[in-house]
Amino acid sequence: MQPDGSIYEIEALEHIYAGRSVLRIEQLAIEAGGIVGLVGPNGSGKSTLLKLLGLIEKPSRGSLRFRGKVLDPFAPRARHHVTLLPQEPSLMKRNVFRNVAYGLRLRGQTDQLEARVQEALSFVGLPAEHFARRPWYALSGGETLRAALAARLALKPRVLLLDEPTAGVDAASAHLIKDAALRAQREWGTTLIVASHDRPWLYEVCSDVLQLFKGRIFGTGEETVLFGPWERFTDGTWGKTLSDNQHLRIPEPPGPETPAVVENIILGETDRNPSPDQVHLQGVVSRLNLAQKTGRVFATVLVEKLSWTVPLTQEQVLHRSIYPGKTVTIQYRLDSMRWV
Amino acid sequence: MDFLLDGLMQAARLLTGGDAETYSAIMITLQVSTLSMLCSLLIGIPLGFSLGHFEFPGKRPLRTLVDTLMALPTVFIGLLVYAFLTHRGPLGHFGLLFTLPGIAIGQTILALPIVIGLTATAIESLEEKTRVTLLSLGANRRQLFLSSLWEARHGVLSGAIAAYGRVMTEVGISMMVGGNIKWQTRTITTAIALETNKGQFGMGVALGLVLLAIAFGVNLSVSFLRRKT
Amino acid sequence: MKLFTIAGLCLCLTVLGPGLNLAAEEPVLMMATTSSTDNTGLLDTLASEFRKAAGIELRWTATGTGKALRLGENCDVDILMVHAPAAEKEFVEAGYGIRRREVMHNDFVITGPEGDLANIRGKSIREALTALRTRSALFVSRGDNSGTHKKELFLWKAAGLTVPEKESWYVQTGQGMLSTIHIAAERQGYTLTDRGTYIKYEATLQGNPPLTILTDGDPALMNQYSVIQINPEHCANVNAGLARKFIEWIVGADAQKLIGNFKLLGKPLFTPNAKP
Repeated sequence: MQPDGSIYEIEALEHIYAGRSVLRIEQLAIEAGGIVGLVGPNGSGKSTLLKLLGLIEKPSRGSLRFRGKVLDPFAPRARHHVTLLPQEPSLMKRNVFRNVAYGLRLRGQTDQLEARVQEALSFVGLPAEHFARRPWYALSGGETLRAALAARLALKPRVLLLDEPTAGVDAASAHLIKDAALRAQREWGTTLIVASHDRPWLYEVCSDVLQLFKGRIFGTGEETVLFGPWERFTDGTWGKTLSDNQHLRIPEPPGPETPAVVENIILGETDRNPSPDQVHLQGVVSRLNLAQKTGRVFATVLVEKLSWTVPLTQEQVLHRSIYPGKTVTIQYRLDSMRWV
Repeated sequence: MDFLLDGLMQAARLLTGGDAETYSAIMITLQVSTLSMLCSLLIGIPLGFSLGHFEFPGKRPLRTLVDTLMALPTVFIGLLVYAFLTHRGPLGHFGLLFTLPGIAIGQTILALPIVIGLTATAIESLEEKTRVTLLSLGANRRQLFLSSLWEARHGVLSGAIAAYGRVMTEVGISMMVGGNIKWQTRTITTAIALETNKGQFGMGVALGLVLLAIAFGVNLSVSFLRRKT
Repeated sequence: MKLFTIAGLCLCLTVLGPGLNLAAEEPVLMMATTSSTDNTGLLDTLASEFRKAAGIELRWTATGTGKALRLGENCDVDILMVHAPAAEKEFVEAGYGIRRREVMHNDFVITGPEGDLANIRGKSIREALTALRTRSALFVSRGDNSGTHKKELFLWKAAGLTVPEKESWYVQTGQGMLSTIHIAAERQGYTLTDRGTYIKYEATLQGNPPLTILTDGDPALMNQYSVIQINPEHCANVNAGLARKFIEWIVGADAQKLIGNFKLLGKPLFTPNAKP
């Protein structure tokens, strides 16, 4: 990790909210200029991490360095370079123009205010002549979100943090939002950090994806998480019976509900003699995604209702003719499982 | 009953005829209530913001205390302030008894819990999202304070109006601390009390209507402002 | 921006407003008095004449006698004009006041419903109160420690009766004289009032009042008003010089004549009786 390449460095960080530890990260560095995706279920700590990175809150313990410096939430210099678009953002009770101009005014950057606000609005597809004078309550959900994004883009930030930017908006708005964010990264070198459930998009655009679960980073999103409750079968092994009568087997869990992480899932060979610590399951390919950075392909395989992420090479896709809808066998080893 | 109608007519006569005593009472009422509102807003809004914005131990009990103090009887405040301002009291040497600033002190105490409580409620009712929005756009402490107040402006304004209503209409403090001295500290409300004591019920009603007209004017301009922002 | 403009206007009003009252830079004498002298308008007349004569502005706060005495004791005023001789003497003896001078008197009367069920019309005050007690006739008392209330308590005792505090026919209003008369009228009761307030009450009803004067003229019913200067040895801050001037003026021939000629609704109200 080169210090000058990292815009954020986290060490032994813990954040406690209402007496509960909601985020714990031993070490993490985020490179400047890239696009980082955050995935994980609701409540896994994505929003908390974004608030810390956005310098909205100060971590309870440990250090968070921005461009090599430990910062307070009210340190104005750094905060003028970082901006967060929170989940379901709200506009302030003033018209669209004033909303977008607000951050610039705070920074005292009022020359060419009009032009910068117009540019930001055009980035998100809200023509200023129609939208600038509208009051905050006269916008649709998608327009509100885009106006809120425009308020951030007007600042030409070094870091733009987006929390579920496309959740609950129409397809057209989602498309405009993604486009505008990527354009900022491309044109100004803005570092993008995006929490989203839209995995295909993240895998498509991100240089790194971090998977969070229960406040911990445990992988890069290529892992599959399996949830309990677990049962003990009559033969003494553990797992759960799926509704299509397949048996999902796991090693003995530390607790009846502890989620398991599975790595190195591969497409099953027609293996005549499966070893006892290998598990085979049958499922249907639902999606294929390309990870931009590595050139690898990920297949999402649905086994009953469980979603598995299976890394593939391009050859495998070609030669075994993997396509969405195809029934495949996946296999993993019991000793490759971890507990969360 | 006829003194009500009589009062209506007298009110019109007082306002149009330029009755010196009435205008003196109106001016004094406006001066003292403006002074006490300025003080209570200046002190109360920052305190109310702190109470609504920050989390600290003892916040709930403090909140309950403020809410309780909203029910302070005006005569009690009058006595309390008198005890401090009388020449034999701790602040006696300032000579504030029977003066407008003296009344304003009492009225500020009257208005403060209302301003603090309703500002705190308005700030509390701002969503967490608002705070995140302001911070994420780069607001520092001062800007966060001002912008939060601006976002909560309708609630804060309601608090100010409620406080103004109480200040304008109180009798106990003006009577006890001001002494109802003609041309000096006679407000509309103490004048009403006096006229009623004198049996001039019609005059009392007339002055009451004058007070109501002022309150109407104030509220009208406030609601005009509210629509503009 | 508009907010600031309005706030600015309010500020100007507040700051410049009091200036309007500062036009007259005369010395100011502060008096605490009872509502009866203020309500009748006598003080307005006296104050304007005193200003002409001495160039001193008289300001007053009108309350009950009890509170007026407290204001004096606490050095909040320079002079008192009250009507509770016994309490006044105590006040002077305690060292709070000096130079107590009697100024004028009017009298108290007992009013009651025209029907007069207790039959007190024309009786002496002693007989009247005894009759009220025997018949348990509704009596409405001020109950506010005012001069009138003190007088009433004194009269019960002087008649050899205990004060009927707890009796169901004895009602204490805790309010001013006029309100108390109104309450007595509404409930068809008897009450003790100063004649001045009764005259105003009678006038507001334009004839045919539900209460009439039943007992008056008894020497015990005299209502004596006096002025007392606050003792400058007790209160260093008081304006002893002005207070002394006022006392000298009000017991003087001119002011005494003024009091004698003062009429409320065409009826003389006070009898000047300052001893030279």
